[in-house]
Parts: sequence; C-alpha cells; structure tokens
Amino acid sequence: MKQMSNYTRRYEANDDGLRFQDLVYQGNFKGMEPVPDGILGDKIMKSRAKSKVLERVSKEDVLRDQFTLDELNDLNNYLAWNIWDVLVMRATEGVSGMIPRQEYEILAFMHEFYRWPEILGMTVDEVGAQGIVDIGASARREIGTKVNCVHDWCIGAVGFGMGRCGLLALEAIKPQDYVEESNTILKFMQRVLWGKRQDGYLLNSQDRYRCLIHEEDVLGKLVSALEPIESGSEAHDSFIRFNAAAELLSFLDHYDCRLGLGDTGPYPLPDGKVLIVRDLFTNEEAFDWSDVCDHENVPHCYTLVIEVDADAMGAEEIRINDISTTFTRPKNYIPYITGGAVFVREKWNTPMGEIYQVNIADLEQRLNGVQQATFKLYSKLARMSRRQLITNGMYVYYVDMILPHLRLAGTYEKACRDLDMWEIDHRVSDYYYDITKRGFAQATVPQKIFSGEGYLPFPDGAKLGRSKYYWF
Amino acid sequence: MTILAEGYNSFETSKSPVGTVKYLPDPQSVIKLIQSGKLKEHILLVQGGTTTFLAPALSMGAVGVITLSGAPESHLGILSREFQMPCVMTAYQPENELRYVTGGDNDEHFKAMISALDGKKVRLECAAQDVGKVLLAD
Repeated sequence: MKQMSNYTRRYEANDDGLRFQDLVYQGNFKGMEPVPDGILGDKIMKSRAKSKVLERVSKEDVLRDQFTLDELNDLNNYLAWNIWDVLVMRATEGVSGMIPRQEYEILAFMHEFYRWPEILGMTVDEVGAQGIVDIGASARREIGTKVNCVHDWCIGAVGFGMGRCGLLALEAIKPQDYVEESNTILKFMQRVLWGKRQDGYLLNSQDRYRCLIHEEDVLGKLVSALEPIESGSEAHDSFIRFNAAAELLSFLDHYDCRLGLGDTGPYPLPDGKVLIVRDLFTNEEAFDWSDVCDHENVPHCYTLVIEVDADAMGAEEIRINDISTTFTRPKNYIPYITGGAVFVREKWNTPMGEIYQVNIADLEQRLNGVQQATFKLYSKLARMSRRQLITNGMYVYYVDMILPHLRLAGTYEKACRDLDMWEIDHRVSDYYYDITKRGFAQATVPQKIFSGEGYLPFPDGAKLGRSKYYWF
Repeated sequence: MTILAEGYNSFETSKSPVGTVKYLPDPQSVIKLIQSGKLKEHILLVQGGTTTFLAPALSMGAVGVITLSGAPESHLGILSREFQMPCVMTAYQPENELRYVTGGDNDEHFKAMISALDGKKVRLECAAQDVGKVLLAD
C-alpha cells in the first residue's frame, strides 16, 4: 500500500524536525535550557552564538586568516554540540573485543592537536587559502573522494575539538593555551567545508542534515546509470548484500571507524524519490594491512548510487549527518531501495573519466573478493598485539583524516619527509601509559568528549596569537 | 511467551530469526564458529556494539545478534541494518535492575546476561521502532 512521506516538511523554515534520542545536551551553557538533537538543536545553538560564524558566511570571511575570539568560541560550542548530536549514542558501544578503539581514539585526538597545526599550516603556505577552498570544491565533481563530510568535519571536530578536549581532561593544557594553533586548524576546516558546500554553511546539521554538493551534470550521469531493482528480487538482494559487505570491509580497513564511508544527499528526484550517493573505501593504500585487499583485487572505492522510494517508506526525516552516515525515520530504508548503480574507482587518484560501472548482475564475483579480504584482514588483526592495534588505529585517525586534503594539495610527501608525519610525538607516546589509568579512555573520554562536557571556552582576553610557552 | 531480554531495536523488520544463543568472548571463537559451518544455527551474543569483532560472521550471513552495549547509531547497529540482520542492542532482563552503564563497571550485568541467555533457544522480535525483544522459543 502506498504511503506518503513527510520528510520534506523538515526543510520548511518553521519546522523543528524530529528527536532521534531522549538525551539532551548542556555543554558550556550551564543554567540554560538543555539542547536537544536535530534541527531544533541546531537552531538553539545558532541562537546562542555571539558572532555570525554559524550563519551563512561569505568567501571573504573564509579567506580571512584570523577568527575573532567569539568566533573561535562559537565554533567550539557548536562543534561540541554537533559531536554530541552524532556520537553520544554511538559512544555507548563499549569495548570492541577486537580493536581497542577508545584507546587509539584518544591518543589520535591529542596527537592531531599537537601535530596538525604545523602540517596544515605548511599546506596553506604551499597552496594558499584559495587552494584549500578549491580542494573542498573538488568534491562537487567527484565520486570516490575522501574529501567528504566525515574527513572535513574531523579536521575541526576531532583534531581541534576532541584533541583540545582530551588534553584539557588530561590536564596537559589550559583553556588559554594554543589559541593560534586552534585558529589554524579551524580555518583549514572552514575553507574546505565552505568550498565543498558553497551555500555559506559548513556543516550538514546547519542545513537540516542535507549534503547536496554534487553539480547537476554529475548527478545526471549517476541517475542515468541507475538499474531498477524490485524489493525481494534477486537484483535487490545482490545490491543490498554487496552494499553491506563492502561497508563492513570499509569499517574494518579503517579500524572500525567511519572514515571508510561517505554518504551525500538526499538528492530529490523529479518523481519524488531520493538519491543517496555512498562511497565505500575498501582499500586504503596508505595502510600496510590493506595488502590483503590488494590480493583480492579490491579497489580503493566502490561508489553505490542508491535510489529510495521515500513515499513507500513513509519517510518522516532523512539525515545525512556530518560523519557521512544516513539515518532515517522509520529506521529501515533498505526494503524501499528501488534503483541502484555501482561504480569503481581503482585508486584514490584514478581520473573521473576512468571510473567504470559494474552491473548488478555481475556483483557476485566482486562480493566474493570483498568477503575474502574481510576474512583475511580479520585473521590478520586477530594476531596483532594490543599495542600494535592501538598504534595502527591511532595512525588511521591521525593520518587518514587529513590525507585526502594533503594528497590534493601535493603536500603529503613533504609532510612525511620534512615534518615526520608518520612519527609519534614524544608527549603522545608518553600518554599511552596514562590513558588506561583511572578509566581515562573508557570513562573520562566518553563523559568529557562524547557528552560535550569538556569543551571549555577560550577565556575572555585570551590573545589570538598565543601558543603554549611553559610546561609544569 | 517468555521475554528473556529487551533492548534497543537496531531497525524495524518483520524478520524474526530463531536460534540457539552463542556467546562469543573473543575473535578466535568467532573464527571457530564460522569454520564449524553452524553460523546460521545461532543467535550471536556479544558484549560490544562495535563492528569489527563480528566482521566475518556478518559477512558470512549471521542471522541475528544480541549485544550488551551499543545503540542503533553504533557501528554494529548501522551494519545490522545494512545486512537486514535483526539486532537487539544493550540487552537487559526486564525483571532485573541491572543495566549497562557507559564507562561503568558492567561485569556483574554482563555475567548475569550471559548466564541468562547463552545456550537458550530464542526468537528475536524486532518489528517495533524502539524496542527489540529476545523471546524464549517454543
């Protein structure tokens, strides 16, 4: 029976969206009404900003090298809410039993905050502020690119937000420290995101959880490649099985984190259906453990173009959040997939003209390669020591989150050669021994970082050029 | 109909898999189960809500999962939806006060849940939006 969808109501100015969870956010707004998730939460956070940095900003704003103190604090507060919005429920997932993720995450957060400012600053020196905007804009004409929501968001939310929050929680820094470095990271994030979206906003949550970045002609080609698939048919089963298996390998290759996937959309189609464009990065050549993917001829990226009948689903809200993941109400959109297409990008720098389509009828052999790579990679990880797993996971975050931007800027090799990007900072090496004490990784991190409690503002009067000058 | 446990429902589905609950404590037990060829006879019980631990089991067609932590927004929640594999997350016994606490000491709760579920023949009921149920199978 045909249902009707209400999800487009979410795009009306006076609509506050649905609540996806019962929890509420407090952050730095003690004594004020707590903030919910979703569209209403975004509205409240914007209303509490002291500057205009959360409104639509101009190219002139973005190219300016320095944020004001109010802008820095507004971004800090908004990112803290946004992190809570997308991660507070994920953070309930506990220990992996396979990969010590909380441990590698917190080390990576802190490593990024210490090391990225120099690497990102060098990249700006090489290509200029406009060059960073252009890197963001490149995502508008490409599929299979890691210049995407989650990577771009990570620059500010993880490298600045969680990194600074973790170091504050560890009492390694004070709120007035590293103001200049924070500006460097956040400016880089702002320029990439602005260039990608080009509507003045930075984050999907600012635009009612939409990421409509692809140019019309690019979308047109993707739509024209769609194969109709009927729920319950063999083609439907093949498509969703392949989607799930490739997504799983993407998670595994990226050590159980979301850097392996990237959704954009929901793009409205003329017949009322919607399109989600999903990149699944199944083989990242920067990681030595991806050799098992090479052996199974698994490419860098499979891009799945997914057409969903939003009316048949009775969709109430569709969110593409800032970590590139689609969540809907009702939750299950899979049975309502009515069309699909699969594309292959063999390497990260394969030109768009050499990307090719795989017919759904031919996915079985591809699926076998993905499954074999998954089992081999799992067996490989199961033999690794805890220390090795934490070190590898730390590199996945610290390197991969800015790798796509450095690659396009042509500065990745320079960062490795001149700035020892693949070394671990002495301070972070020492923190390895601290993070398991007093439940820091298991309890403090979820409480401070994922609940939004630990994002202390830069104090009034803090100097914009201030770094950190003494260690006690 | 005896309700053994409830938890977050990962996604709404009419699928209602039946199987004997098998607790998987470590990666070796996951590999062993797959190699036994009996993966689809079991509803898998795991502590975490993460994806990697169960990766090969998901890939090879696990029919249902119960977790003791995590939520639909967790990676395993996302993947269970993509695989269309029913999944009850952060399961608890309705008549017992013990509940999972993020970052807390959950040993007692985990032991109680494993003791209550491991080896039982169960059916997962995951049609509702929010709550999934673990029922004792007839």
